[in-house]
Amino acid sequence: MSAAATAGTYSPASAAGEKRRERKEELRRHLAEDADWPRADGRSFHDCRPAFMQTGPTTAASGSAYAEFGKTKVIVSVFGPRESKKAMLYSDTGRLNCNVSYTTFATPIRGQGTDNKEYSAMLHKALEGAVMLHTFPKTTVDVFALVLESGGSDLPIIISCASLALADAGIMMYDLVTSVSVSCFGKNIIIDPTSDEEAWQDGSLMVAYMPARKEITQLTLTGEWSDGKITNAVELCMDACSKLCDILRERLKDASSLAE
Amino acid sequence: MVGLSEGEKHFIRGGIAQDLRTDGRRRLQFRAISVETGVIPQANGSARVRLGATEVIATVKAELGKPSILHPDKGKVSIFVDCSPTAAPMFEGRGSEEFSAELCVALQRCLLGGKSGAGAAIDLSSLIVVDGKVCWDLYIDGLVVSSDGNLLDALAAAIKVALSDTGIPKVNVSLSATTDEEPEVNVSDEEFLQFDTSSVPVIVTLTKVGKHYIVDATSEEESQMSSAVSVSVNRHGQIRGLTKRGGAGLDPSVIFDMISVAKHVSRQFISVLDSETLAAEAAE
Repeated sequence: MSAAATAGTYSPASAAGEKRRERKEELRRHLAEDADWPRADGRSFHDCRPAFMQTGPTTAASGSAYAEFGKTKVIVSVFGPRESKKAMLYSDTGRLNCNVSYTTFATPIRGQGTDNKEYSAMLHKALEGAVMLHTFPKTTVDVFALVLESGGSDLPIIISCASLALADAGIMMYDLVTSVSVSCFGKNIIIDPTSDEEAWQDGSLMVAYMPARKEITQLTLTGEWSDGKITNAVELCMDACSKLCDILRERLKDASSLAE
Repeated sequence: MVGLSEGEKHFIRGGIAQDLRTDGRRRLQFRAISVETGVIPQANGSARVRLGATEVIATVKAELGKPSILHPDKGKVSIFVDCSPTAAPMFEGRGSEEFSAELCVALQRCLLGGKSGAGAAIDLSSLIVVDGKVCWDLYIDGLVVSSDGNLLDALAAAIKVALSDTGIPKVNVSLSATTDEEPEVNVSDEEFLQFDTSSVPVIVTLTKVGKHYIVDATSEEESQMSSAVSVSVNRHGQIRGLTKRGGAGLDPSVIFDMISVAKHVSRQFISVLDSETLAAEAAE
């Protein structure tokens, strides 16, 4: 896979390119150096986007959940535990399969979301530490995540939504898994970045966290970070994950009271 | 690989707890590393790295291409990893695809830096030939030849050595009067530019087995791991990337401790790798 974007057919003129580059450099300086400024959607540095989460949007699945964070919309379905395919070897513990895909209309340019092949493996690793696999030996639980619209911070939202769907399916778990990411601009850290902010970040960090157990199940970092900033960013993420977990628990209580 | 018996597993875990591994190493000790450069003469840069019984080859190929629209003043770098079935039978067919993708993404995270280019291993602006029109595209390919654990560290080391072995042909550009026309490029056969690889990081993976963590885990030790943290550190002690692997959760304070231990261990690893690289280039 290629990390670079595909070259388009547009060939900009030098003068227009120069002007655009100056504007871009000015914006980068503004992002990196100014101490505090409202973000494009009015949030401050450490504000998350408003979260809407709901269980049970898919009737055919054992469990399902829908999540909206700003412009990012994700739907996750859970099937199983059900019989593993015959090709699979016998296993004392259950299997967890995760698949993340994008709709063709999820990104501003049609079909651009197919570059995120690693999201399935990362979702699997984030959930693996939380699901009690030993409670369903020889069987398989399938988690299918579909990104309906990509507005930034897609993977953390997929992880949180998937753990809500697993709980809705009645799969035994040690704790809910919630996930938050931050972006780094110079010396500033902003939480829950949008896709516009992600496009210009100096570095990013994502934490998947089990708040009740105080354990990190997934942690990835890229770009330029100093030690102190890593610690601050991880603690900021863990705090946001705890608050998000409270929201998830409320949704589960609402769903169970409705079912009665 | 054949499975381990319960006695073998207990022996491995007990040895790690007593700071004496099955091959006699201590917890924070690497296996012997050997480096060869220029193993693939057709490539612009290449290296073969052997870390114990793990062997990988990395090559760098440079091609002229068009810069991305978003970053017209930067060249492009792509990283690919191939796990060959010759390395291990589990890499047969589709089994290696997911593992290769995982290694590939971890390497990208450590070497390519943020979206703005900050923290990248190579200064991408040095790959530009004509702004907005012509740039160098670097294709970094990693091949796993033999697998005995700790592939990520070996691949990162091989890529670092391959980049220091890389020579990019010098390009002379004659700009036409009309700015919209494609410029003529003349690629030199004799003059070559080399990268400044002082900021290229290495990856140190700390694997948690029981209550302790070890560096440079073998396949058998990796089968006993609960989780692992791969930290990318460069010569200046700056962290460029981090990936947690394995399914079990980790306490945040343990992760911070692993990060500081990785920085400490990487200093010696980088100096050993640098001296091996100089020796290999002298012998070439």
